[in-house]
Amino acid sequence: MDAGLIVYALYLAAIYGLMAIGISLLWSSVGMVNMAHGATFAIAGYAAYFAAIWGQPLARDLLGTTGWDIPALAVFIGLVALLAGALFGIVIYLVAFLPIHDKENFAVRSLIITLALNLATVQMLLWAFGPQQKALPRVFGTGRFTALGMSIRIDQVVTIVATTLLLGSVLAWLRRSRKGLEIRAVMQNAEGAALCGISTRKTALPIMMLTGALAGLAAVLLSQNVFVSPTAGVTPLIKGLTIALLGGLGSVPGAVAGAVLIGFIEAATGAIPFLGQRYVLFVQFTFIVCVLLIRPRGLGGLLDETRE
Amino acid sequence: MAPQQPEKRFFEVGRRPHEITLKPDGGDAWRRGRVPLTKRHWLAWRGISNPKSLRRERRLLDKRPLWWTIGLGGLLVVTPFLSDQAINIAAIFCIFSAINVIWTLIIGTAGIFSLATMAVVGMAGYAAAAANVYLGVPWPLMMPVGALVGLVLGGFLALPSTRLDGLYYALLTLGVAEICRVFVSQIKLLAPTNGSINQVGSFIPADWLLQRPGLLLGFFAAFALLLAALLVFRLINSERLGLLLQAAREDEAFSEANGIDYRRARLWVFILSSAALGAIGAFYVMFYRSISLAVFSLDQLLLLFAMIVIGGLGRSEGAVLGTAIVVLIDKGMLDLGPLRIILVTAVMIVVALTSHHGLTGVRMQFRNFRNRKKSESRAARTEKGGEVMPEEATEITDKQQVYYRLFDKRIRDQLKTQVTPELIAEHRAKPLGQHSDALDRVLNYFRRGEMPDKYAILRVGPYAASTYKVLAFSGRPGHPPRVVDDKLYATMDEAYHAVFLLRVNDLLAS
Repeated sequence: MDAGLIVYALYLAAIYGLMAIGISLLWSSVGMVNMAHGATFAIAGYAAYFAAIWGQPLARDLLGTTGWDIPALAVFIGLVALLAGALFGIVIYLVAFLPIHDKENFAVRSLIITLALNLATVQMLLWAFGPQQKALPRVFGTGRFTALGMSIRIDQVVTIVATTLLLGSVLAWLRRSRKGLEIRAVMQNAEGAALCGISTRKTALPIMMLTGALAGLAAVLLSQNVFVSPTAGVTPLIKGLTIALLGGLGSVPGAVAGAVLIGFIEAATGAIPFLGQRYVLFVQFTFIVCVLLIRPRGLGGLLDETRE
Repeated sequence: MAPQQPEKRFFEVGRRPHEITLKPDGGDAWRRGRVPLTKRHWLAWRGISNPKSLRRERRLLDKRPLWWTIGLGGLLVVTPFLSDQAINIAAIFCIFSAINVIWTLIIGTAGIFSLATMAVVGMAGYAAAAANVYLGVPWPLMMPVGALVGLVLGGFLALPSTRLDGLYYALLTLGVAEICRVFVSQIKLLAPTNGSINQVGSFIPADWLLQRPGLLLGFFAAFALLLAALLVFRLINSERLGLLLQAAREDEAFSEANGIDYRRARLWVFILSSAALGAIGAFYVMFYRSISLAVFSLDQLLLLFAMIVIGGLGRSEGAVLGTAIVVLIDKGMLDLGPLRIILVTAVMIVVALTSHHGLTGVRMQFRNFRNRKKSESRAARTEKGGEVMPEEATEITDKQQVYYRLFDKRIRDQLKTQVTPELIAEHRAKPLGQHSDALDRVLNYFRRGEMPDKYAILRVGPYAASTYKVLAFSGRPGHPPRVVDDKLYATMDEAYHAVFLLRVNDLLAS
């Protein structure tokens, strides 16, 4: 296994981890499985695409001489995608959470609504922009550099670093800030938190926006390799969901471990000539089935009985 | 001989005058047909005695069989007169309904979130098609082949279901579906046809294909398939196995403590329903005369999921109703193009936002809502004060009590308005003797008060120079009266007035 493969695996792990942690956080705090995460991904991808179209000439005109135009554009696209993801998070909050969160059968109903939102968004994007794939400009650098005698792609390294930084800051925010404390309280026991004066509604909104923003960032990062298209969200959604479940829903370390494992498996499966890209999902699911048979609640999951 | 009485007329009163009731002759023996080989009756008639007319009546407790008969019978009668395209849609509806009804057994009755339905259908379909095309198995044997494959697959799928639950099992089954798809797509034999098997033998003769008789035959066969699926649902869901599973769904630990081996029950329901799904898969292949990898696609699965959630998870009527709606939108409005999916999702969102348990749960939800509103408005308009509240009224056997307390409350309300300073002054001036009308009414009410806490006057001291004290009776034999206060009254009239004031006080405080 050469270094490029390891970096590629970490790159995949970073993107899938962003999706998985979003799904996992949302499940453990609000108690809903967000099937519209893929739609957030696609919407943010399109927002980034249009931001790039609009911002590219602007950046070239303003900063072209200084050589900072590409990094500025990267930051701009990233911010737009984050914002688009957060806005779509608000939409999900308004449609799938707010009207029914204190009603009967919330878990199943929110799952149905977010699933419907996902399907509807994909269809609407198809309708509005057609099935053509759109390419984002390569804002995270091109080419390779050599470190320790290994050739590594720059954009992958940038992705890994950016994701690690962002996830680190999100986790630090969850651990340090007042809002993070509230979110963790809701995660532990929503009812108890409500009794202490922590509103579930007011806590759910930032979580939705945060997870949406994470999906938006994942969209920009993955779009360096994969094109933006209406159905682009489906694969990351399935990957994110499987990783969140593999790691144990609600467990952030589990999700990270799951993401790294799945990233390595995907990279390795693609690289082995005997298997190839066609077998990626097959190998992954076989792996997940095996893990679930041994640990029924995922890698980091607790048994519900012990939690009660 | 008694004179001829005119027949009494009864007016329709009560909560449900529209309910269909039979008024059998009292002397008639009750004949109810039974389903052959079982002790069950065809319809759930209940004998009741009407408390108003004092006559026997028979009421149909569960009217769902009638709705089923009307719905399915209507479909069967109307379809042959429709266009070719509509007949095809009706047949597709029947096939998908059959799949969903069987799926409901797993996802509703057993409460296991399995998404491997289409995987079982597809694998069994492929196996049956391959058996027919490559091994030359005649078409009547395709359904047994499919059922056998489904049986084996179901056995495999059931094993983890005892360990995993909820979303984890859903993920596992999703993985199984993907594994099945890749497995089929990698079979070398199917490579030239892009993974599909065509030219499969069928119960529809080849020269009838896409002709009206062929379509009609396809529809009738699919209808029979739906009936068979409903029968399987009924036999599993409402009999022993279904009851065990429903108990385990509510609380695994408790049902296990009650001696229910729920693991075994789940194994059985998986095996049985997977065999049924396998047979449906073989039918599916025969109906289309081909099968392709699209069976395993996620979109197909999501569409099926939309069908059962729109109708309501866990009920056969929900599965059929949801299938009807989605198939009508998806296959019946082909002109709309991609807008169809948006329409389906809109229906999904509206149903999930407004109803707790899908469309078939709407009736129950509306009843609960109506009852809640009713009791809210009742609580708003009733004042308590001795009056019997509706909740209490059901506990009182002697309904006369209920009306007495209502009457008493009204009298008290009326008398309260008549107690004025002038009235009290009138009583102080002349406790005994002729009074005004208002004072008379108040005193009369006091006189017929109940024995507990009724006041009495006790003379204290020698007869010539006695003073008076006010007592209250305990109302229980053998228990002495209690002293109300320590005040001594010089004359009898003062004591009378003191008692009067006490009672007025009680009246105003009540």
